[in-house]
Amino acid sequence: MPKELLVDPSVSRAKTRLEGLDILVHAYDTPIDDEIAAHGADRLIEMLRHMLIIREFEGMLAAFKAQGMYREIAYTYKGPAHLSIGQEAAAVGSAFALDPDDHIFGSHRSHGEFLAKGLAAIARLPEARLADIMAAHDGGRLRDTVSTALGRDGRALAEDFLLFGFLAEIFMKANGFNGGMGGSMHAFFPPFGCYPNNAIVGASAGIATGAALRRRLVRDGGITVAHAGDGATGCGPVWEAMNFAAMGQYGRLWQDGGGRGLPVLFFFTNNFYAMGGQTSGETMAWDRLSRIGAGISPTGLHAETVDGANPLAVAEAVARKRRLLVTGDGPALLDVECYRLCGHSTTDANAYRTREEIKLWEDIDPIRRFAETLEAAGVLAPQQGEAMRQDVARRIAAVTRAVVDPRHAPPVDVAADPTRIGRLMFSNRHTTLPTDRAPGVGDPAASAALRGLARKARSGLTEAGEEMPPLRAITLRDGLAEAILHHMTHDERLVAWGEECREWGGAFGVYRGFSDILPHHRLFNSPISEAAIVAAAVGHAMEGGRSLVELMYADFIGRAGDEIFNQMAKWQAMSGGQMSLPVVLRASIGSKYGAQHSQDWTGLITHIPGLKVVYPATPYDAKGLMATALASEDPVVVFESQRLYDKVETFRPDGVPVDPYRIAFGTPEVKRAGRDVTILTIGPALYPALAAAAELSVAGIEVEVIDARTLVPFDYQPVLDSVARTGRFAIVTEASERGSFAQTAAATVARHGFAHLVAPPRVIGAPNWIVPGADMETTYFPQAIDIVDAVMADFFPDHRANRRGVRDWDELALARVGL
Amino acid sequence: MTLLPVPQLGNEITEAEVSEWFRPDGAEVVQGEPVVSISTTKMAIDLEAPASGKLRILIAEGDIAEVGTVLARIE
Ligand SMILES: Cc1ncc(C[n+]2csc(CCOP(=O)(O)OP(=O)(O)O)c2C)c(N)n1
Ligand SMILES: [Mg+2]
Repeated sequence: MPKELLVDPSVSRAKTRLEGLDILVHAYDTPIDDEIAAHGADRLIEMLRHMLIIREFEGMLAAFKAQGMYREIAYTYKGPAHLSIGQEAAAVGSAFALDPDDHIFGSHRSHGEFLAKGLAAIARLPEARLADIMAAHDGGRLRDTVSTALGRDGRALAEDFLLFGFLAEIFMKANGFNGGMGGSMHAFFPPFGCYPNNAIVGASAGIATGAALRRRLVRDGGITVAHAGDGATGCGPVWEAMNFAAMGQYGRLWQDGGGRGLPVLFFFTNNFYAMGGQTSGETMAWDRLSRIGAGISPTGLHAETVDGANPLAVAEAVARKRRLLVTGDGPALLDVECYRLCGHSTTDANAYRTREEIKLWEDIDPIRRFAETLEAAGVLAPQQGEAMRQDVARRIAAVTRAVVDPRHAPPVDVAADPTRIGRLMFSNRHTTLPTDRAPGVGDPAASAALRGLARKARSGLTEAGEEMPPLRAITLRDGLAEAILHHMTHDERLVAWGEECREWGGAFGVYRGFSDILPHHRLFNSPISEAAIVAAAVGHAMEGGRSLVELMYADFIGRAGDEIFNQMAKWQAMSGGQMSLPVVLRASIGSKYGAQHSQDWTGLITHIPGLKVVYPATPYDAKGLMATALASEDPVVVFESQRLYDKVETFRPDGVPVDPYRIAFGTPEVKRAGRDVTILTIGPALYPALAAAAELSVAGIEVEVIDARTLVPFDYQPVLDSVARTGRFAIVTEASERGSFAQTAAATVARHGFAHLVAPPRVIGAPNWIVPGADMETTYFPQAIDIVDAVMADFFPDHRANRRGVRDWDELALARVGL
Repeated sequence: MTLLPVPQLGNEITEAEVSEWFRPDGAEVVQGEPVVSISTTKMAIDLEAPASGKLRILIAEGDIAEVGTVLARIE
């Protein structure tokens, strides 16, 4: 698409060959004496201690799961325990090479990585900063609890704080690091660089990629690490993320000085198995995991296979990759081979591997081997390792005893405050925009498209009251564009991406002209990777960025299902309310292109807790709601109807204001007043409902039409007030009726407006079958005549009226056959 | 003399806006050279000079013209 890059047939058609890549496999061979000279014996002994802490910590979890008892401490732990016994060197070696301000994003099996990173940060950060971190977390309460329960100070207190906060989180206690809302597979603590772990296999890849985008843009010199298992190489979103992190445009089009890729390290802890499926040889096509980098980019992602049983081999490789990343030569990939000596989980019967195989790997247990190496080098005295192990065990026992004591770690008392978890879903906070123009943004007057926008009439009605053509007046598309442009030009943190959204301006032209004034690193074309588009938006927001991303059609939500449903929707609550996720996801609802390009999936999104959902139907509402979405600290999905992009403003006498304004979420608006029937509309259903109202008015029936505007949140009061006056309630939606938001609204109004209703509420939606092609659409989406039919039949059965629409079907009979 | 009209841009499009003249009135233009950008609500396209000669602009930037309207003459 960009005109800067010529697609030259004489180059692309030339006979040539792509040279094979050299991929290093177990290249590490630094003598231990050199390592000791480079790092000092104390730091290597410290690595051993960190591995012992992880081993003991996970042994404790294993004991609770198996026996309900660890060193005479009884506790019933009902949650998951995906242990990494045997894999400690991978985690500790990596953390050793990382900076405290590098950020790791983990997997379901990330206790080791979390502890290793936290312990390494505690060992490296100045004590004053540790004190600040502990004072800042939860107002210093966790620090006080830990210090009272365990009685240490300084760095030892910080280690106790890490172990206590993490274990309390695993046990889902109120003072766990994430308020007990994360647990074993989701715990995190950003001040030590431990960003969210993720229970969805491979999900951290895209999130860490978005986080790396933010780090590149703020140029803070830090990197992000995406932890995943070998099994995650089978996940499409992981491939999408690796490509997203290595796109050609960083080096060839971006002018931000950040180099040719994103500073993210894809760190695959390759233990040769998923749960029971063996990757190399059975479920995957690669023989060596490191080979996959070559499929992504000319750098091959600098991929290597390293020995995950040796912390120094891992540290050496991570340090080298880190140097590449901070000079702009990322991303990188490491295939870190190690072996899970324990089961996948405590119910693992090891049916998929032999006793002999386990034995072979037990012989290279990383902890024992590293202790032997240090002993042989003469820096670890005989018995010193064992003494260290016993000391670690005492400490883990002390921390565990404190955490299972409800005086120190109380459970989350939901009964005392039943909506407590609910309140964590949204912060309901908004940012204020800087008044100055963001750096690097050009003058809108230099863009022909933006000059054209400025020339348009603000109202969509002529003096004679006629509707103006969309070229002459501000449309819904323009309303969105104005709000977005205002935020883009004033808030440097806001970055927008999506498919074809730069020069093309998005498939429907909302961003047209934006590329004339916004640099590539603020607005860019993404690959056709819906999962990565959304996952990166989440990661970018986790790191302090603000993300505006687009799915060309709402029908593609399925391609980003996990990213929308599990990531974007959930992290605010799973962080115990500590994290903000300012992500706006735009999704257009299509028309005319049939079953896979025209579906109203508002019902899918409103079903998922944690997403705010808006669906504007007028230019004025589009501009104001989009501004609120972009200012929101909570994640928002904005649905846009393709049929409405060209709608001009016909409701506001003064049209769409030039100056920015915001419309509060949750407030439905009466678009037409009436005394006899209340019709609530969702999105474009507003217009057929108004047409029906005009027709019914001729018959003496006055309809009040209320435009929902926002679906989540939603204030029912204006609707209930209206129903109290009219006694009749219908709701019109373009979504298939089964499971739709309209059904929820109908049930809610039935319950709370029952006393006033003279008839049951009526949902007028699309039928439960595919959206047909353009010429048949009027038989599918509710038309004015369908609304008139329904109103007459359900609310005025005594009036004689001929049915004119096609919806003369028996709902109950259809339901019986699955329709 | 050759005319440069607003082309037919699709079955639902009746008019387009002159977004930008790339060359001023009176300029010598070469056949095939982009001379003007026009937009509909959905897209912007560049129109090329249909012949070489002197450009005579008839519709100014910012004006809206129906499909078929002559935007310029090439003399
Ligand atoms: C998307 C998804 N699919 C399946 C699972 C169930 N699951 C949890 S762990 C796991 C195996 C993952 O293997 P790998 O990535 O190699 O990590 P390991 O467990 O070996 O650390 C599976 C299938 C999941 N959590 N998420
Ligand atoms: Mg694995």
